[in-house]
Amino acid sequence: MSEETKRNANGEAGLSIWEKEENVGANRGTGGCGGSFASSSPNPSGGNRRSRSEAVRRYIALYLLLIRTSIRSRMQYRFNFVLGTLLAAVIQLSEFLMVAIVLAKFGAVQGWSVHEVGYLFAVMTFSKTLYRTFADEVHHLENYLVEGSLDQLLTRPLPVLLTLLPRGFKIMFGEVIQGSAIMVWALGEMLRSGRVTWTAIPQTLLAIVIGGVLLFAIGLATATCGFWTTRISMLQNMTEDAAQTAARYPMTLYPNWLSGLLFTAIPVGLVNYVPALYILRGELGPWVFGLTASAAACALLLSLWFWRFGLSRYQSAGS
Amino acid sequence: MISFRSSTRLYFVLAAKGYARNIQYRGSHLLHNFASATFGYLYACIWIGLGRDYSLGEYGTLGMMQYITFTQMSLWVSSFMTNGLGIPQSVRTGQIALDLMRPVHLFAQLMAREWGQIAYQFFYKSVPIYLVMLLALGMLPAHGGRTLPLALLALAGAAYLSICINYLIGVSSLWTTESSWLYWGNQALMNLLAGFFIPIQWLPLWLQQIAWASPYPFMLYVPTQLYLGKANPVLLLGTLAWGLALTGLCLLATRVVRRRVEVQGG
Repeated sequence: MSEETKRNANGEAGLSIWEKEENVGANRGTGGCGGSFASSSPNPSGGNRRSRSEAVRRYIALYLLLIRTSIRSRMQYRFNFVLGTLLAAVIQLSEFLMVAIVLAKFGAVQGWSVHEVGYLFAVMTFSKTLYRTFADEVHHLENYLVEGSLDQLLTRPLPVLLTLLPRGFKIMFGEVIQGSAIMVWALGEMLRSGRVTWTAIPQTLLAIVIGGVLLFAIGLATATCGFWTTRISMLQNMTEDAAQTAARYPMTLYPNWLSGLLFTAIPVGLVNYVPALYILRGELGPWVFGLTASAAACALLLSLWFWRFGLSRYQSAGS
Repeated sequence: MISFRSSTRLYFVLAAKGYARNIQYRGSHLLHNFASATFGYLYACIWIGLGRDYSLGEYGTLGMMQYITFTQMSLWVSSFMTNGLGIPQSVRTGQIALDLMRPVHLFAQLMAREWGQIAYQFFYKSVPIYLVMLLALGMLPAHGGRTLPLALLALAGAAYLSICINYLIGVSSLWTTESSWLYWGNQALMNLLAGFFIPIQWLPLWLQQIAWASPYPFMLYVPTQLYLGKANPVLLLGTLAWGLALTGLCLLATRVVRRRVEVQGG
């Protein structure tokens, strides 16, 4: 099959995703769910609950369908897929090399060894990968705002955010490969030397999931600003790119005002640094997980509220 | 082909248009500089933090602050260019077929347009970022600014090398839809091998050897060393040699491209 044919085939595959979604949406409409999860049911108490859980079930089914189709459409270009994955892994690895070279030159950064800093880097990579795998389109909301294509999403029988999330679903193999390699190397060495115990593994997984939620909340709040400013890339440079880069190093490197900012307004320090203080160094206490989980929940609720408020102020900018 | 005089005028107009196209958004870009300066400040903070525990070799903390300030401002001249000089986009829309039919060389016309973009980025991005970082870090230009002319000459050479590399990346989009990864791969190599964050002499020996076998040190490290007064101007010959080699490659790639073109849109 020629590249041109593959491209056409992919175009059709892409169309079929949305045709399927339209059908599911239409079915939902005829099934009584209408424009929101809360449908009008003859039984206002148990019926509402049932129809809501039915709507959630349907949404999950739709989400899984979209994920499967997204993977299938990407696999239409096998060579490109493999090339993209390999290059992504190399790019990510080169970023870690910069950190590793600094550590190789100086031995440690503010008392943090190369393995500990590698751990900070890997946790941040995994949390970011988790966020971008499931919510990449939130990061790319600017395209929708500039082109005016958000208007189409507003007409769909689902909340805009839920329609947006599965659109850009992609498994970021490059980042997973790189994150895994650094995590195995860093945590493996600390396990071998008895610096940490096996309990560090589930604790790390928990930290990654909480970190993913935190990064999503930061990303969503940043994207929401686009409802007023349309362009958000500059803001994303600061709240996402720069902040995540900063959190690859121990926070004690930075002046107090900057580290304070990275623990509160843009809480990337809670993604990897605070959990690492307990998991790797036994500082603070197990309560750090409660603290970071609470912070993630608060950040998520705040950003969701901000998103709904921003959406209510949205004015189309496209033609 | 059109005459030399007409083509020179055409290239100048293309460069001027490339400059003017951006100037419409200068307000937004000036704001964007704040984000870029934030990155620079962050990197400087890392070296200041390290400088509290270590001597930072021949640079010292102040030297590394100057180093980061200059590399951060240089990125907008020698690194952040139009992805593949816009060729991937032309391939997607089918515009590349028209561009190849024009009576001027594809490489020359795209280069002229990019020089306009680079000139704009120098005045509206590099200079403001340089000034903001000097102010934020409380510094004066290295050597009272006396080394700036030579450093800027090296930076102009670096911009040309970057144009050539981006052209080669752009041409690759005729054979793969993933050329954007090559663009990002090039950025990653810039970070690592051009001495963006870490001076090349601090890299492991094997990585230093790889770096010096590539054009990357001439795109950031050499201009920065000239700015800091730590390098011999003879290093500019390296920039010249790489410029000639990459020009040859670009001309060769254009000949291959002209033989068979497969576009995606139209």
